[in-house]
Amino acid sequence: MSTPAIHTEQSLIANEPYYEPVADEVAVFTAAYRNKLPVLLKGPTGCGKTRFVEYMAWRLERPMITVACHDDLTASDLIGRYLVRGGETVWVDGPLTSAVRNGSICYLDEVVEARKDTSVVIHPLCDDRRLLPIEKLGEVLAAPPEFCLVISYNPGYQSVLKDLKQSTRQRFVALEFNYPSVEVEQTIIEKESGIDATAARQLVKFGHMTRNLKGSGLDEGASTRLLVNAAKLIHEGIAPVVATDTAVAQALTDDEDMLKAVHELSRSIF
Amino acid sequence: MSDESRQNFLNRLRIQKDLEKFTAGALARHGNVEDTVARIAALERRDQDFVYAWVELIARSNHELAAHFIGRVAGAFDKMERSGVEDWVDQAMTTFDNRGLGFAIEALENVDDFAREYASRHVRCGFDDASGFLRHFVRGLGGRELRVISDQSTFTDTESLYLPDVVNLYPEPEQNFTIYKLTAVHLWAQTWYGTWRYQVVEQLIRQFDDEHPMAIFNRLECIRLEACIARDFPGLSREFRLFGSVGEAGDALWDEWRHRASRLAERDASAADSLALVEAFGELPLPPLRPFEGDMFAGRVRQALFARIEREKSAFQRAMQELRDQDDRGEGGGDDAQKQLVEVEMQDEAGAGGEDVNFQLTIDGEVTSIPEHMKDLMGSIMQDFGEIPDDHLEPLERGEYSDALLPQKGDVDGDDDPDLNDAGSFSYREWDCVRQRFREGFCTLRELSVPPGDEGFVTATLDKHRGLLKSIKRSFEAVLGESRLQRRQSDGDDIDLDALVEAFADVAQGREMSEYLYTRYRNQERNIAVMFMVDMSGSTLGWVNDAEREALVLLCEALEMLGDRYAIFGFSGRTNKRCEVYRIKDFEESYSSAVRQRISGIRPKAYTRMGVAIRHLGQLLQRTQARTKLLITLSDGRPEDYGGYKGKYGIEDTRHALLELKQGGIHSFCVTIDNEAQEYLPHMYGPANFAVIDEVEKLPYKVADIYRRLTT
Repeated sequence: MSTPAIHTEQSLIANEPYYEPVADEVAVFTAAYRNKLPVLLKGPTGCGKTRFVEYMAWRLERPMITVACHDDLTASDLIGRYLVRGGETVWVDGPLTSAVRNGSICYLDEVVEARKDTSVVIHPLCDDRRLLPIEKLGEVLAAPPEFCLVISYNPGYQSVLKDLKQSTRQRFVALEFNYPSVEVEQTIIEKESGIDATAARQLVKFGHMTRNLKGSGLDEGASTRLLVNAAKLIHEGIAPVVATDTAVAQALTDDEDMLKAVHELSRSIF
Repeated sequence: MSDESRQNFLNRLRIQKDLEKFTAGALARHGNVEDTVARIAALERRDQDFVYAWVELIARSNHELAAHFIGRVAGAFDKMERSGVEDWVDQAMTTFDNRGLGFAIEALENVDDFAREYASRHVRCGFDDASGFLRHFVRGLGGRELRVISDQSTFTDTESLYLPDVVNLYPEPEQNFTIYKLTAVHLWAQTWYGTWRYQVVEQLIRQFDDEHPMAIFNRLECIRLEACIARDFPGLSREFRLFGSVGEAGDALWDEWRHRASRLAERDASAADSLALVEAFGELPLPPLRPFEGDMFAGRVRQALFARIEREKSAFQRAMQELRDQDDRGEGGGDDAQKQLVEVEMQDEAGAGGEDVNFQLTIDGEVTSIPEHMKDLMGSIMQDFGEIPDDHLEPLERGEYSDALLPQKGDVDGDDDPDLNDAGSFSYREWDCVRQRFREGFCTLRELSVPPGDEGFVTATLDKHRGLLKSIKRSFEAVLGESRLQRRQSDGDDIDLDALVEAFADVAQGREMSEYLYTRYRNQERNIAVMFMVDMSGSTLGWVNDAEREALVLLCEALEMLGDRYAIFGFSGRTNKRCEVYRIKDFEESYSSAVRQRISGIRPKAYTRMGVAIRHLGQLLQRTQARTKLLITLSDGRPEDYGGYKGKYGIEDTRHALLELKQGGIHSFCVTIDNEAQEYLPHMYGPANFAVIDEVEKLPYKVADIYRRLTT
C-alpha cells in the first residue's frame, strides 16, 4: 500500500480474455451495466467469477480495478487516506474512489472477508444515489454512468461472521456461478492450457471425482482453476499424476489419507 | 598390542565377566563362550544394552534359559530388527511361563523360523491401515456412499464393502495395499456398473438359488466389469492386469471364458447379458478367482436393496411432494396437485450406467431445478434401477401423505400433574404446517436443573484428550488476535499525531524521518454470545451421550480461554405439556465445579421436541448483550415427540422456530451425527449451517473445531 495511486489507463484490458459463457450471464451483466445496477457474483472459488468480470470489462471497454478483500481491509483502504510526504500531509485516493472518478468497473473480490465498516461506503454507492462520501475530504463524489461496482462472495463459507447482510445483498443484481458442465469445462481446459481433448476430458473426470468428496473429507472439490493449472503442467510435459498431485491434491488438503485417495483417483484415470 | 585391540580385549573380558555373573556360571557350561562374547561385543552399544537388560530379566526366572539366550541373540540380530528380537525373546519367555524350560529353549532355537514369520507379518497390509484411504477413494470414484467394513468374506451388499482383515499375499506392503484397493474397486464396480440392479437380483434369486450358477455369474461379471473399468479407468485397468494372473492354467481358462463371452466386453453390455449366459457356461470348468475378486451373496444384497428401495422411494416421493407444493404456491393453485404431470429426463451419455447422469425434472412442462440432496437420492435410485421408476413419480397417496401430517392431538389429558401448572413454566406457540398457522400457547415448558454427576468424569475426559485439548487451545489462541488500536504503524487508517510530532522534531534536528506515522485498528474485540443446545433424548443413550459430554468439557475449557459468553442447556420432553430444558450453565454463571458436575450428570431422557426448546433458549439468548449471537445444537436425529410431532410436522415447526431466531438476529448452527441429516437439515438450518459427523468419537474434537471456524 505504499503506492495506493492506481493508474487506471493501465488497467484497461487490451486483449479479449478467454471466457466461455455458461448461460445468459453476459446479457444480464450488460443490461445491469446499462441500467447502472451493481452486480453480485455468487459461487465457489475458482469457477470463473474473476475471469467473467475481466471479460465484461473488455467487452464494455471499461478499465477494471480489482480489490482482493482480506479481513483487515477497511473503508479507508477503499476510499483513500492522508499520507505524510516530506513536511506535509497528502491525500491519496483509494481504489474505489479512483474507480468512481474514472468511471471504471470496480471489482471487490470476496467482499465478506472485508471489515464490516466497508458497507458504509458500499451502500450509498449501490442504490440509485450512486454517491461516494469521502468523510476525510468532506467531499461527496457522484459516480458517472460508466462506473460499475461488482462484488463476489462464496456462500459455502460456514462462518457466521462472514455472511453478507441482507441490507447489502439486496442492492445487487445477483448472478450465480457454479462449476461448468462437463463439455464446457473440457473446452475451457483445452483452450486455457493447450492439451488435447482426451487429457482434458480425463481431467474433468478427475475433477468430478474430487467433487464427490466434498463434504466427506474435503471442504471443496477441485475448481476449474485448479484443473486448468494441472493441465498447464501436463502441457509442459509433466506426468499427469504428478501434475494432479501438485496442482490439485496438495492444494485441496493436508490430510494424509485424503492425499493418498486423491492421488490414487488420479492414477486410476491416467 | 595396539590401543584399539587392547580396548577390544578388555571390553570382551568385561562382557564375559558380566554375563557369567548374570547367569551364575550357566554360561560357562555352553561351549564356545569366547566366540559368543565376541559377537555380542561387535553389536552396537544400544543393542548391547538391550541384551544386558534381557539377560538380567531372564536370569531372574532361569539361568539356563538366559545362557541359551546369550548363545542365540547375536544370530537373531543378524536376521531381525531390535523389535523383532524383542518379539522373539518375549514369546520364548511366555513359552517358559506356560510350558517350561524345554519348550522355551526350543522356541529360542527356532530363531530362523521366527524371523521368517516375523518378516511375513510385517509386509502385510492391515484393514486399519487401509480403511481411511479406501473410504475416501471409493467415495471419489462416485455413486452412493459405501461403508468399508472388515469381514471374514469379501463381498458387497451394495451398502457396504466387506473386505478382508489383512492382506499378505505379496512380499511388499505396497503390493498388498494395492490388492486392498483393487478389491474395493472391484466391489464398487459391482454397485456402479449395475451388477446388483433390482431386476437382476430378482431374477438371480428366482432362477439360481444354487452355489454353482452364482459362481458362474460372478465370473461372467468379472469379465464384464473388467471391460468397464478398462474403458473408464485406464490406470486401474493396468493394475488389474498386473495383479490378475492366477497361474498359466488359470489364465488360459480366463482367456477361454473371455473369448466365449466376448459380448460382455461391449460398451452396452449389462448384468442381464451375464445372466443370460450363465446356463451356456454350466459345463465349463470354473477359472479360479483372482486375488481382488470376492464372493457374491445375492441374499444379502436383496435384503439391503429392498430396505433401501423402500426408504428411498418414500424419501423421493416426499421430496417431490415438496417441489409440487412449492410449485402450487407459486401459481396459487393447490387442489389439483394430483393432476400435475411430472417427468424426469436423463441426459445419460454412456448408456449402461458408469457416467454421472444429469437429470432434468419437468413439472407441468416447466423445468424445475433439483435440490442438491435430491440429486444424491436420484443417483442412488438410478444405481438400483437404471432409471427413476414410474411408481416413484406417482404422488404419495392421500392417506399416506396425511398420515405423516396427522394433525397434532391436543394435550394428553388425564395427565393432571399438579406441578405441570406451577409458576416456573413458560408457554410457547408451535407452528402447525397442516393448518398453516401457529397454535398459540400450545407448548408448556419448564426449566429444570441437571442433577450433579461425578466430577471425576471431567478429569478423566481432560486426561483422555490431553493432546487434543492442547491443540484446540492453541488454535483458539490464534483467534484471539491482538490489541485494538495499534500506534506507529507504517500504514493505517489515520495519522498518529504523537509520532508525527516526533518525526517533525527529528526532521528539524536534521535526522531522518520515521516511516511509522499511522494508527490502525486491528481485530475488534470478540463480542459473541453462544448458546449450546444439547439433545438429551432417549436415543442418545450410550456412546452419543458420552461423546456429547466429552465434547462439552473440551468446549468449556476452550471457551474459557476465548472469553466468549456461553450457556449450555439440554432439552428433552414428552408431549407438548411436558417440554423440558435442563440448565447446565447460564450465561452469567462461571465455569465452576457445579457446572462440571452438571455436565457429567447429563443423561438421556425422553423425546426431541425441538421447536419449543429453540424458542425458549432463543429468548434467553436474545436477552444477553452481544453483537453476534449464536445457537448451536448438538443432536443425533430429526425432531420427534410423542403424539404426531414427527416427520414433516416436526421439521416444519423446528424450521419455523429457527426462522424466528434469524429474524431476531440469532445465527443457528447444527452439529449432528445422523447420517441421513442431509435430507432435512439443509431445509431446517440452511445449506451451509450444519455439519454431519460420521463417527461419534470424533464429536469432541469436531465441535471445538467447528466452533472456531464459525466464529472467526
